[in-house]
Amino acid sequence: MKRITILLSVLVAFSMLLSACGTAATATKAPATAAPVEAPTVACVPSAAPVAAVDSAIAAAVKTLPRNETLYFNGQQWGSVVGWNPFSTSMNNAMAIAQQDSARVIMFETPYLYDMLDGKQYPLLADGPWSWNSAMTEITFKLKAAAKWSDGTPVTADDVAYTWASNIKYETNAGVNNKDYIDTIEAKDAHTVVVKAKLDAAGKMINPLVVAAYLSGNYVMQKAWIQKLEARACGDATAFKADTAEDVVYSGSYHKFFTDDTKAIYVRDDNYWGQDASMFGKLPAPKYLAHAIFKDNAAGTTALQAGEVDVSQQFNSNVQDLWLVNNLPISTYLPDAPYGIGASLPTAFYNQSSYGLDQLAIRKAIAIAVDYPTIIANAMTNQSATFAQVPRSLMNPTPGEQALYDTNAVKDLQWVGNDIAGAKALLDAAGIKDTNGDGNREFNGKELSYIATCPNGWSDWQAAIEVVASAGKAIGINITTSFPEWSVYQTVVTNWPLPATGYDILMMWSDGAGPTQPWGRIRHLISSEFAKTTGNWNGNWGGYVNPAADALIQAIPTETDPAKLKADYTELVKIYLTDIPSFTLMYRPQSFHTVNESVWTNFPHAGDGTSPAVPPLDLTDGWSIAGLYNLTLVTP
Amino acid sequence: MKGYRKYFLNKVLWLLVTFVFAIVLNFILPRLMPGDPVAAITAKLAQGATNTTGMQKVYQQYAELFGTNKPMLEQFILYIKNIAHGSFGFSFSQYPRPVVDILKSSIMWTVCLQFPAIIVGWLIGNTLGALAAYLKKGFDKVLMPVSIFLSNLPTFGMAIFLLVIFGIGLKWFPTSGGYGFDLIPNFSLKFIWSVIVHYQLPFWSIVLIAIGGQAIGMRSMAIYELNADYVKYSRFMGIKDRKIIGYVFRNAMLPQVTGLALSIGTMVGGALVAEIIFSYPGLGFTLLNGVMGQDYPLISAATLIITLMVLSANFIIEILYGIIDPRIKAAQAD
Amino acid sequence: MKHTIRQVFHSGKFLVGFSIFTALLLIVFVYPLIIKNAPLAIIGRGTFFPPGTYVNSYDTIGSTQYTLMLDDAAAKRIASKLGDQERLGLKAWLVADGIPENQIDISDTVKLLDLWVNHYDPNKELAGMTYAKLQYYQRLDASLEGLLSIKGVSIAVKNAQTGALEETQFVQQSDYVNISQVANVRVLPLGTDNFGRDVLTELVKATGVSLEIGLVAGIIATLIGLTLGLLAGYVGGLMDDIIMFITNLFTVIPGFVLLILISFSIGQDKRGAVTIAVVIGLTSWVWTARAVRAQVVSLRNRDHVNLSKLSGHSVVHIILADILPYIASYVVMAMILQISSGILAEAGLSILGLGPRTTDVPTLGLMMNWAMIYQAQILGKWWAYIPVLITIALITFSMNLMNTGLDQVFNPALRED
Repeated sequence: MKRITILLSVLVAFSMLLSACGTAATATKAPATAAPVEAPTVACVPSAAPVAAVDSAIAAAVKTLPRNETLYFNGQQWGSVVGWNPFSTSMNNAMAIAQQDSARVIMFETPYLYDMLDGKQYPLLADGPWSWNSAMTEITFKLKAAAKWSDGTPVTADDVAYTWASNIKYETNAGVNNKDYIDTIEAKDAHTVVVKAKLDAAGKMINPLVVAAYLSGNYVMQKAWIQKLEARACGDATAFKADTAEDVVYSGSYHKFFTDDTKAIYVRDDNYWGQDASMFGKLPAPKYLAHAIFKDNAAGTTALQAGEVDVSQQFNSNVQDLWLVNNLPISTYLPDAPYGIGASLPTAFYNQSSYGLDQLAIRKAIAIAVDYPTIIANAMTNQSATFAQVPRSLMNPTPGEQALYDTNAVKDLQWVGNDIAGAKALLDAAGIKDTNGDGNREFNGKELSYIATCPNGWSDWQAAIEVVASAGKAIGINITTSFPEWSVYQTVVTNWPLPATGYDILMMWSDGAGPTQPWGRIRHLISSEFAKTTGNWNGNWGGYVNPAADALIQAIPTETDPAKLKADYTELVKIYLTDIPSFTLMYRPQSFHTVNESVWTNFPHAGDGTSPAVPPLDLTDGWSIAGLYNLTLVTP
Repeated sequence: MKGYRKYFLNKVLWLLVTFVFAIVLNFILPRLMPGDPVAAITAKLAQGATNTTGMQKVYQQYAELFGTNKPMLEQFILYIKNIAHGSFGFSFSQYPRPVVDILKSSIMWTVCLQFPAIIVGWLIGNTLGALAAYLKKGFDKVLMPVSIFLSNLPTFGMAIFLLVIFGIGLKWFPTSGGYGFDLIPNFSLKFIWSVIVHYQLPFWSIVLIAIGGQAIGMRSMAIYELNADYVKYSRFMGIKDRKIIGYVFRNAMLPQVTGLALSIGTMVGGALVAEIIFSYPGLGFTLLNGVMGQDYPLISAATLIITLMVLSANFIIEILYGIIDPRIKAAQAD
Repeated sequence: MKHTIRQVFHSGKFLVGFSIFTALLLIVFVYPLIIKNAPLAIIGRGTFFPPGTYVNSYDTIGSTQYTLMLDDAAAKRIASKLGDQERLGLKAWLVADGIPENQIDISDTVKLLDLWVNHYDPNKELAGMTYAKLQYYQRLDASLEGLLSIKGVSIAVKNAQTGALEETQFVQQSDYVNISQVANVRVLPLGTDNFGRDVLTELVKATGVSLEIGLVAGIIATLIGLTLGLLAGYVGGLMDDIIMFITNLFTVIPGFVLLILISFSIGQDKRGAVTIAVVIGLTSWVWTARAVRAQVVSLRNRDHVNLSKLSGHSVVHIILADILPYIASYVVMAMILQISSGILAEAGLSILGLGPRTTDVPTLGLMMNWAMIYQAQILGKWWAYIPVLITIALITFSMNLMNTGLDQVFNPALRED
């Protein structure tokens, strides 16, 4: 009985506590629940976006997607689609929203499309190429008369200007990234846009490359719809960006058809303005673009093998086995290794403040001892060019970037790797020897021991880091690996100072292909702007500082003389390969691009004769969207 | 009846106390994980940003929004208030999707997969085990080793075997998805058939292992009972075998029923492996992603649901036990 | 005691389980003594080499060449490049190109190849041909080059001074080498995994580590469960209620979720094999505690226990001397089951990526994890994951057989007549 009384009293006490809080709750809503919320201090009430009831009815009526009208994708969308708002980066809507150098333009469009194969920008919403004014302070371009929004109204320069103003006002990524380089965007008349660059004290543009990149990397949204969104969000930036935008107005060829936990389907707009002769002249071939949501790579590859996926953006290990061994009609852009076009340089950064890593001899010894051919053969299963084929530098393997520096001048500095003897000799010459016979070298009496790290779950990176660690063992430096979870890794790596242990050699990405490359990549790798900062998503995570490099990086964007440019780039490569603040581990394609020709054919491939050449970016990014118009059915 | 009331009251009280502690634990545990989810979200938002000076402000905004900058007790009170209003807050990893939305869509799949699988496995397994105990000799000699082997295969092993043999090899069943890759949910026969076909491999991967485990358990219990004194006595008295068996299995069933309750209770989180290997929609994978993304609201909500289900299942079984098993009434009476 | 042991070893099931288990243990201990290769050494450049014997090509050229005149050598050589499927493929291309079907005889190799060489155009795109098919025919054409030739091949080395190729050796089509005379031959019975590591050596080491993890986890879980069960069962009263309450809490919070949470919290850098084992042990003691408690409760009122109580022995003494021996058999069985479930729990965690660190030691779960990440099961690289699954199954199967055998010894009712 006593026991029961104790229990009862505990229960009574607790329920009293609850009710006390309960009464307090009815007065004010908890501030932890955001939009839609009743914030009594603001006059207007932010509300949620309306969901069009008509859409779901149309989708349900279709029941089955006709196989020969649908193009299936994998490797982009890994979770349910959260929303349709391009101003937000948390929409998780991989197929429709990706504002990057080769922007994804199936639903929202940019003025220009970047083609990574020739480095040029081709007009989409714009009419003809853009041009600098004579003072080189403004860019002017015209908009196509045929360009229209999904509600029938034309795309005007006002829309471009208002989109930029909103990006700035609500501090979206597009605004924050570019506000230091673009001053204003104005509408000279209904179809002419003037982009005014920010000028430095001398009246010269700070960075013309970034300004040009904005034109092919950021969407144009309809002014009327943005105003609707602003009204809904009551001018609050958080609500503005959190809005799910189900009623968004777009200019692209595809829009939402159906989404749930297992798939996301986009349907073609048969009134798409792009079928006008001034653009593509016809509609894209597939009526539906569908993306099933797979839990992991293996499930996606199984579907690819079964012919349920046509275009795959996954890293399929040993992809060549699919056609060599299994005889499936699967192919990649190139028929042999490296199967794709390398565009970015995953890099291992040295933590400059780690003990011993300030010594060039140690940095160089580790870097030249790593077995790169094994990384490329095992981690990337040969989907990367080797360093014998494309000697290391700061440039990606595309011919455009490779032509920008003088390979002969730096030939001696471009090591191929696996040079255990050379590494040992280097260390011995620097006096870094194993004095106590335990197999590990000491520097100034203290044993050298490092932890090489990359995020857990990124399998090709993990495999590469393992190879780096085994190189260390071979030359007498104790290197072990650690794979923290991505959420932990990102918060640590992007903030200086790095922890005392656990992050000595850290692997991160570099920029891929874009209008500002290779300058952008070089800046992100070695500019001291980003060294030893917090909230650093840009680069130079090892904290490397070199004023000579900084000066060159500063000078390049406004340099117009090609010879001087080449000299500058060559000098930067020289500095990079001499100081070795970080080293490239492999080349990685911009996107993976594997196609299954069981239903559709005429995908982009090397030597397919398209002009401008259609890049292998899964038919959705940048100029690759032109590929959708060339598709034909295998059995019509 | 008096003894029974005492038993009942005792159970209810312990249920409530466990529930209270469970809520507190469900709240605290995810928040004990190291790492700052708001930093993770901010970092995700900052991806692709070359100018991150504004990120500190964004961080503050989200910390304010999610309440992670408040002391733990205040957060807990907020949490309870929200639950009382039926809202679990916004998911961190899928912001701005509300947690209720995420759970709603995935829980149906998990329950529909697990519940029939557990029941079917339980029924078939117990029947086989009972038969083995009763028939002995040949049937038993085959069933025992097979059951032991099946029940000890790891779940992922069974799932992979089924996938490779029936999905990829023989191509009898599809290899992934909850329904046809080219179908849109509607109420047509074709869609329902597709759901059923996609259901088979994940279903059997769970059932086959469950059968093994249940068969072994039931067989042991049944053998115990079959050798009990009252059985021998009844046989000597000439009572028909069929009648005796009725009593035997009713007694042998009791511990199995407890096990069933536990399985049903934990089923919400249990199909994780099957979901990953067959890309089957469901709560397990959502939960795993929530853990990886330090999504406190999602984890707390999911574990709360699991807790509720286990407690209720347990409670119902214990009450039923009290009714079925006269020994309990007797024990309470003295 | 001796009698019990003799009975145990007479039980058929126990014997089978015990022999399988001991065989595994023997392999784990003896294999590294014979084969001294490091289990985590990356020996392959490239992923998933199939099982087989790998003969060094360079050394083959340098070994003694024997001439064997075998009738079917030429036919085998041709069949390896031009199987039935390839012949049909050639025919399909020729037919699509316009050659009448009756002129093509796929069994006549010489004529078929003749037609092929005369008509094949690598760049010609026939109607309805996909790009993949085009590439296929280009590869096929390249592989058929020189198929019918009976000449041998020259091995040439670049002259250090002039850079020109100079022939050093000529290899005839009838030249054979004796494998035992080749300097470098490596047998890889289970091929290599995605890292290029020898799967068999890695598997043996991984079995050892997994057994160790299972043992540690099992012992910890059993100890905790035993202690709590004894206290709850014997002392009863409030202690019983509290312990049962804690047990209920652990039941109510799903064990696996708890495991995932803890494992994630520990962080990758601290996740050694033993740490994981301890974590598993700390989360899986629940049913042992319950079972022990049930047994102790039924033992509590036995005569010998009452006698000890009357004699004034302390609680600890009673528990150790009077209760423990009677449940010893049960505890042994529980521990065996805990060990096997510990091994399974580790494998489950590793598959989710929350297991021990990859570079330190391989475990069975980690091998499965990497095999699945590199999609071995899709690509048909069975050697990367099936032996691991079979090993896991054998370990748990043998332990359960032993358990069932023990059960039969201690509970005569369960014995087969």
